[in-house]
Amino acid sequence: MSDAKKPQSAVQTTGHAWDGDIQEFNNPLPNWWLWSFYATVVFAVVYWIFYPAWPVGGGYTTGIMNDITFVDSDGTEKTSHWNTRALLLKEMQEGKSATLSREYLEKVKDADYQTILGDAEMMAFTRSMAVGLFGDNCMPCHGAGGAGVIGLFPNLADDDWLWGGTVEDIEATITNGRYGFMPSFRETFDEQQLDDVASYVLSLSGHEVDDAAAARGKDIFQTQTGGCYYCHGTDGKGLKSQGSANLTDQIWTIADVPGAATLEDKKSLVRQVVVNGVQRTMPAWKDRLDETQIKLLTVYVHELGGGQ
Amino acid sequence: MAQAGMGSTQQYNYEIIRKFAFMALVWGVLGMGAGVYIASELAWPFLNFDIPQITFGRLRPVHTTLVIFGFGGSALFATSYYIVQRTCQTRLYSDWMANFTFWGWQSAIALGVVGYMMGYTQSREYAEFEWPVDLIILVTWVVYFTVYVQTLRRRSQPHIYVANWFFIAFLLVIALLHIFNNLAVPVGLFSIKSYSLFSGVQDAMTQWWYGHNAVGFFLTAAFLGMMYYFVPKQAGRPVYSYRLSIVHFWALSFLYMWVGAHHLHWTALPDWTSTLAATFSIMLLLPSWGGMINGIMTLSGAWDRLRTDPIMLFLITALSFYGMSTFEGPLMSLKSVNALSHYTDWTVGHVHSGALGWVAMVTFGSFYHMIPRLYDTRLYSTRLVYAHFWLATIGIVLYITSMWVAGIFQGLMLRSFDDYGNLAYTFVETVAFLHSPYMVRAIGGMFFLTGILVMCWNVYMTIRNARAEAAALEAKLAAKMARI
Repeated sequence: MSDAKKPQSAVQTTGHAWDGDIQEFNNPLPNWWLWSFYATVVFAVVYWIFYPAWPVGGGYTTGIMNDITFVDSDGTEKTSHWNTRALLLKEMQEGKSATLSREYLEKVKDADYQTILGDAEMMAFTRSMAVGLFGDNCMPCHGAGGAGVIGLFPNLADDDWLWGGTVEDIEATITNGRYGFMPSFRETFDEQQLDDVASYVLSLSGHEVDDAAAARGKDIFQTQTGGCYYCHGTDGKGLKSQGSANLTDQIWTIADVPGAATLEDKKSLVRQVVVNGVQRTMPAWKDRLDETQIKLLTVYVHELGGGQ
Repeated sequence: MAQAGMGSTQQYNYEIIRKFAFMALVWGVLGMGAGVYIASELAWPFLNFDIPQITFGRLRPVHTTLVIFGFGGSALFATSYYIVQRTCQTRLYSDWMANFTFWGWQSAIALGVVGYMMGYTQSREYAEFEWPVDLIILVTWVVYFTVYVQTLRRRSQPHIYVANWFFIAFLLVIALLHIFNNLAVPVGLFSIKSYSLFSGVQDAMTQWWYGHNAVGFFLTAAFLGMMYYFVPKQAGRPVYSYRLSIVHFWALSFLYMWVGAHHLHWTALPDWTSTLAATFSIMLLLPSWGGMINGIMTLSGAWDRLRTDPIMLFLITALSFYGMSTFEGPLMSLKSVNALSHYTDWTVGHVHSGALGWVAMVTFGSFYHMIPRLYDTRLYSTRLVYAHFWLATIGIVLYITSMWVAGIFQGLMLRSFDDYGNLAYTFVETVAFLHSPYMVRAIGGMFFLTGILVMCWNVYMTIRNARAEAAALEAKLAAKMARI
């Protein structure tokens, strides 16, 4: 393209030159640019007419033809010019999803546990809502699927329940929280005794251990020497009222016994629990969740572990 | 008008520009390195290593401060001192004052970021500096303003070139923003901690009035000043339209001031404030584009330059990203779009299309033009400039696209409902979704970081060659003198 054909060549520069060679053409504003700019101004002015926009005196222009009628939080019906708070309230009252969810929620609220558990539709709703409640409140500790973290947070997806697995038990657990406690036996037992107790405990769940050691351990477990039976029971099956573990099954929540390769490793894990004791807290949720939310979570958790 | 030739090192104060340009690259590498690291922390959280000083929360302001104020700020000091001297054909008003701005600015950056890692922060985005550092910045800024305006007053040109208008707007507005947003009461005379003078939504409003105008006047107006010098200079062609530059300068300056509240849609902020912010943002679109048009159209009739000149490629690509992000911004400021985009990574992507695409690219282009001239030499390698350009461009594209995916999809997940009217996703499910885009983003950042490292090598070799040339010249001169 030769210089003569360049569109700018007909345009004069402003006649100034900076730093030797910087000059400016004096091209007019591009028309498309100017008209687009005017269009955005028109858009703004129209917007101002229909929505709250300009502060005037102590108030502001509210906009025209934009009334919203909604029920305020105190239950009275109000009509107001367009505003985001009214918009939210109206959406929460009349929105499709909000209405649908609320209708189900009313049903669940008035139903007892047996009714909910026996009604496929209510159960489907419960799962839909509780998965969110669980995700936002319970998941940080118990994990997305409720599998927990061994040593820290109990698994909710198995059929072992420390504090009871009936809906009443689960509701009580969520409402008031739980404090799982086992004292430390560090000062109480010597090395030999620790080894014996660990052997006995492992024998309860069917592990092949040294019989003599297990017998000595049983003596400690079942008498005043250790007093383990206070909480775990003479049968070792634990007490719901104490949240004490059932030692006769294959489910372990603190010591990862099934994960240990050798008997010595398993014993060492059990010893650690006896030496350190256990202190686990689950917070109370009654101040953070309402009764219906707790009810939904109860059903959800009950179903996670198959329930009792 | 005679071009400043060999004597320019005496005619102009280049030493201060060299220092600022050097620090811009140092902070650029550190800041972009920090960016890549925190992007990696989000993708692979083990990188936090449970060390408080390097967790995401503390390194994030380190990253933003280093790239905006360290890299961008030092680049603006360097180029504004270069431009004001050359377009006024006069030396800087005062060498010691210019030096003062150098040490003041660099110490503020260094103290600021060390403080963030130790946990000292005002918790105001892009204004995290605690009050002692704010005071250093204030004094530095007043001196900067004085040097700049006094230099302008000593110009040997009757007219003030357009680039300087943008720098003056930047100097004035940043002073105003910095003072008002940082009004705070220290807990005690010897305590670094302070609390804002404002509270509640007024505090938030003040912060975003600052925050968005920092984008408007620090990252837009000032860099347009840079553009208005280096684009016509590198192209060797006149600026497209003087008229357009006047109109868009005033429109931009007037409209920008109103839009900060679009960061606070759907909050406790009154609805009328929100409306004004959204509508002024829409009206800001074309004035913002004025700078892009003026820059790109300057090349009209000489498009072939893009095939042969990688510096021009940097400058024009920067303007294209500028145009794209100033289109995206008004779009996101509409309340309905904002309801989806706010609190998602779309915002982060938007900021980076401006920060990487516009701010960093226009700086790279300008530096490739300016640095050889500061040392009276030629660039070491043009091929490396091409390499840098492609690394940077690929990095930006990966960054922006991954953040669009992350932001838009997370926004959609957060608002989707199931058949029972309940939210379909828990928050943590949306976070799990982010993992893949976060990895892509971190990789994009690595590309960009590699680019600036290539640039540092190129600049280092350029300066080394310049020194060798100068030494050879002196030796020759000495030999000649000896013969006489």
